[in-house]
Amino acid sequence: MSELLNIDDLHLEFHTYDGVVKVLAGVNLQMRRGDVLGLVGETGCGKSMTALSVPRLIPMPPGRITAGRVTFNGEDILSKRESEMEAFRARHVGMIFQDPVTNLNPLFTIREQLVDAVLYQQAQGKRVPGRWRGFTPSVRQLRKEAHERAVELMRLTGIPDGDKRIYDYPHQFSGGMRQRVLIAMALAGDPDLLIADEPTTALDVTIQAQILRLIRSLVAQLGLTVLLITHNLGVVARSCERVAVMYAGRVVEESPVRELFRNPKHPYTRGLIAAVPQKDVHRGGLEGIPGIIPNLINPPAGCRFNPRCEHVMGICRESVPPAIEVGAGHHAACFLYAEDA
Amino acid sequence: MNHLLDVRDLAKYFPVRGGLLNRKTADFRAVDGVSFALQEGKTLGLVGESGSGKTTIGKCVLRLMEPSAGQILYDGGDITHLKQRDLRRLRSEIQMIYQAPAASLNGRMTVGQIIGEPLWIHESLKGDAARARVLELMNVVGLKDEHYYRYPHEFSGGQQQRIGIARALAVQPRLIVLDEPTSALDVSVQAQILNLLQDLQDQFDLTYLFISHDLGVVRYMCDEVALLYLGKIVEVAATEVIFESPKHPYTQALISAIPEPDPDLQREEIIIRGDLSHSFPQRGCPFAPRCHAEKLATCETVPPPLLEVKSAHQVACHLHPPMPRLEPA
Repeated sequence: MSELLNIDDLHLEFHTYDGVVKVLAGVNLQMRRGDVLGLVGETGCGKSMTALSVPRLIPMPPGRITAGRVTFNGEDILSKRESEMEAFRARHVGMIFQDPVTNLNPLFTIREQLVDAVLYQQAQGKRVPGRWRGFTPSVRQLRKEAHERAVELMRLTGIPDGDKRIYDYPHQFSGGMRQRVLIAMALAGDPDLLIADEPTTALDVTIQAQILRLIRSLVAQLGLTVLLITHNLGVVARSCERVAVMYAGRVVEESPVRELFRNPKHPYTRGLIAAVPQKDVHRGGLEGIPGIIPNLINPPAGCRFNPRCEHVMGICRESVPPAIEVGAGHHAACFLYAEDA
Repeated sequence: MNHLLDVRDLAKYFPVRGGLLNRKTADFRAVDGVSFALQEGKTLGLVGESGSGKTTIGKCVLRLMEPSAGQILYDGGDITHLKQRDLRRLRSEIQMIYQAPAASLNGRMTVGQIIGEPLWIHESLKGDAARARVLELMNVVGLKDEHYYRYPHEFSGGQQQRIGIARALAVQPRLIVLDEPTSALDVSVQAQILNLLQDLQDQFDLTYLFISHDLGVVRYMCDEVALLYLGKIVEVAATEVIFESPKHPYTQALISAIPEPDPDLQREEIIIRGDLSHSFPQRGCPFAPRCHAEKLATCETVPPPLLEVKSAHQVACHLHPPMPRLEPA
């Protein structure tokens, strides 16, 4: 299948009063159409920043992309003008976020917000015909069609009685239902790529299972490509085909999901998996990773995991490990697997 | 058996106000007749989704909230109606560790002051004696001496939680209520904190009331688990029993929804419909509208009592008849 997204050696910095934070330091990520890729990592590892660089939603300044390329469908994104970006976002990328409460306006009904989303995405960055122009027959027709599309989207995302509930306000929906509304909104423009940034973190575990099942069924029904950002390895194991593990601004391991859990290669990935309380781990058997994530103003030289790594070698402190193929479609950025090491 | 904490029919209602004069129109039953007992040195997990009343129970046990009904026995004595003066003594026996480490630490106090304050309040300890104790406590939870004069914002989430733990330990409590102590932390740090809590339990012979929504963490930490749904306990048993042979349909659904980091795991995924709603019909089983199991006529009409289906395994479900009582010979 054709390549949809290619992030190549992306470097991103943030300028702050304390210094320059090197948030991303050479991220490489490829996605093909129909992929469901999980991007895993702990707080501050740059997983959200990597995803936000695709629709170019990183605030600049203070952010600055210092090197690298992002290509989507063969188009270079970083060189686009802002006006072109609006059309691009409307047509190609849908996003859902962790907190469904803050992403819905409490003062408007779901109908107003969903219809706006549909119209905006149809207009592809041009002006949306507003309600104040709704008297002309053509605009009235447009809004009517958008309303029908909105109800259809609500049905697609599993909201019961969508034709009635569309007139409700966000506070009348539960957390899980709000997340479904946001998914409906993200799907309004038939996006090629759905970026889901911690979509189930704020939800209870039974609701989380519902939302993950919905995302899986949308992938099957619509052939959606999904970039799922999460810190929860269990969520990845359940819903993704491929996983990329990030640590301190770099992808340290990338692999098909089964391979990653059966045969993790990078010491960080191993530590991460061992830190999850699993079925057969009993009292005292859980292992954390010693130390804390590095300060990205002064990140350690070489491999950024080296201060916490138990296999650290001399070379780890000097140069950045390249992604080394350790299996079929399985890459680890670690000198342990370099042939001449 | 010696029960350090014995909670009987605990209830906490919040008034729902409305109407023209803002009069009380109804009761919101956050906790509705909960009973459990906790043995000294053990860990009991209180598990439930948001809104199930688990934090409210924790606060009632500490008397940070006044229970509406029921009884709380601590070490054999009734603490449900203790006066403020006696409560202070109780505070050195029962401590709490909170979910958001940053919000539970005073940002204008140094680490030394934060951990030293309970020593001053409860033991009138100050000066060098207090400082020595604080440093000792910091050492126990894995903080370094040079952290003494730092402020909470200079620490990562995991280290802030260590400060909170040291503060709770300062008064040498016997029972600690842990309210989601690791849900704000990353997994690698969560593992560190969970291990620290286990070590401290062994070292100081602590008893934990562990409140969490994360069944994986509960399985790792607890000896016994009580599952809550809408302010009622639906199932209680030893941890292995709960995870090996859950009886209540809600427990079964929750356990099947744990995201296990194992892509090969084959299991039947029970996805329950809808979500937690307090507007359930007052009659009948609170879980009935979402239940996936076979429905009996009584589910909609009679609230199921919490009954012993096996020894030390209680379930509140009409599908599981109680264990036949042995008649005394």
